[in-house]
Amino acid sequence: MLAVYKKEIRQAFTSIFGYMFLAFLLALIGFYVYQINLKQEYANFAYPLNSVTIFFLLLVPMLTMRTLSEEKKQKTDQLVFTAPVSITRIILGKYLALASILLIAMAVISIYPPILSKYGAVNMKIAYSNIVAFFLLGCAYFAIGMFLSSLTESQIVAAILTFIVILVTLLADTLKDRIPSDHVISFLVIWVLILLLAIIVFFMMKSVIVATAVFAVCGAANAIAYFAVDKALFDGLLTKMLGWISLISRFENFRYGLFDSAAYVYYLSISSLFVFLTIQAIKKRRWS
Amino acid sequence: MIEVKNLVKRYGDFAAVDDLSFTVNDGEILGFLGPNGAGKSTTMNMITGYISATEGDVIIEGYNMFEEPEKAKQCIGYLPEIPPVYPDMRVREYLNFVANLRKVPRKERKAEVDRVMDLARVDHMQRKLIKHLSKGYRQRVGVAQALLGNPKVIILDEPTVGLDPMQISWMREFIRSLAKEHTVILSSHILFEVNAVCDRVLIINHGKKIIIDTPEQVIHTIGGTDGIYVAAKTTREELAKILSGVDGINNIREERAPEEGVSACSVFPKEGADIREQIFKAFSSADVTLLEMRSETKTLEEVFIALTGKEDAAC
Repeated sequence: MLAVYKKEIRQAFTSIFGYMFLAFLLALIGFYVYQINLKQEYANFAYPLNSVTIFFLLLVPMLTMRTLSEEKKQKTDQLVFTAPVSITRIILGKYLALASILLIAMAVISIYPPILSKYGAVNMKIAYSNIVAFFLLGCAYFAIGMFLSSLTESQIVAAILTFIVILVTLLADTLKDRIPSDHVISFLVIWVLILLLAIIVFFMMKSVIVATAVFAVCGAANAIAYFAVDKALFDGLLTKMLGWISLISRFENFRYGLFDSAAYVYYLSISSLFVFLTIQAIKKRRWS
Repeated sequence: MIEVKNLVKRYGDFAAVDDLSFTVNDGEILGFLGPNGAGKSTTMNMITGYISATEGDVIIEGYNMFEEPEKAKQCIGYLPEIPPVYPDMRVREYLNFVANLRKVPRKERKAEVDRVMDLARVDHMQRKLIKHLSKGYRQRVGVAQALLGNPKVIILDEPTVGLDPMQISWMREFIRSLAKEHTVILSSHILFEVNAVCDRVLIINHGKKIIIDTPEQVIHTIGGTDGIYVAAKTTREELAKILSGVDGINNIREERAPEEGVSACSVFPKEGADIREQIFKAFSSADVTLLEMRSETKTLEEVFIALTGKEDAAC
């Protein structure tokens, strides 16, 4: 695990991407700290971080796009996955390397609050709980990016997919207040989602039978829940579902000085889920 | 020692490897032959644990690859068809990484990397970026990587593809030298190479085992009886007439005339019969000059074509 970790860190900084990521991220945070904290004289360190979150759209794919796709393309995965190291350890090594690079940036910005406190009263608790939340949010996005990189051989495809998925999680919060959420619409949207799931299953398993079975089982469950159990279950379901995937709305609470440990747990769960899915995707690739 | 038992790999309905079993003994070099697409790389990828098998077992030095993959993988050094190198790393840095990945203890790592660089003769390239190396040197770095940690089993997938003749002869000698301490599987579609290097040959086609034996034995048992090439200063009709008087001939195949006024043919004697003397005497009594007479041993190439079908061997 350590071997892969060290290699990933070294590769990030022999290529331009590691430096670009850090430079871009630190420049953005610096800019917003200057604008909001120094120029407009707000003492809250959460505001600049909150403004930077949207740039994860570009920052995350920059680091994650090549993690697994490039290994596959250059056939170096034949080396890594025939080494006497388990797949889980290899993926964890890669993931921890990504997180460490973000941690470097977090270490740098951790000195900002004490500097700011020279000029006014800074709430240190809010400042540091925000930095931790920002870090965990980044880690959750890294896990998603790494998973998407494991699905393809092309860095570009991985980058675009990551961009789209992060965009959806960013927009989900805005979107959820604007969509109709009565039970009929929810019911229909779930059908569409089930169809999508069946299509994904088909492309992953290349089996019409399995895909049809997935569609039939999920569809039946959906229909039973709607017609036999309770239609009220579907009221506002869409809004709730968008809420589940809205990574960014969890970050908002920190802005107002609320310490939300549920958000930490949420980010860690998203990270674990996608690291787990990456491991499964690689294991699955060995089977097909 | 490598044991492959009833190995099957299916992609949907297509069987890339179909019920393959064989054993490679300690210190042996097994040549793994087959036309392109016969399932060589798939088999090697299963032996090394890169992909899983649909059915069957691979046992490396007593460890089952699918049950104790880490222990089994520790015993294998693998050079895939395309050397698995990172273009943006330097040679030494890359080998250090692989040594670390293959769990070479930290204290021995430097000496071990030096050892394999010396063996694969890449020590003078150690500070170069791999992307600046030629194909031949990349292949050597790939070989060096496979030797790290001194694994008992070494698996080489088409190690001489894309090398120049000098490098090929070096590579062959090098593979031979490995056999003292290692068990080697070497895949190739170049028959001469396998003939020159390997102790035993395994030929597969369409994922199925066709034969496994020593190169000589493969030629002998499958090649049938050796023919005798005869060229004499006479017409075709005359030649056929003279030969028809010789006992023990199974059949005669006409060959292209080597020069003006000379006819040639290949004579296939019946099983076990040595008819060279009789042929000579027949020509001598007919007062026809026998210009050339030589035994023709089938090459592995011909055996291969005979075994795997003509269109497959065209590659």
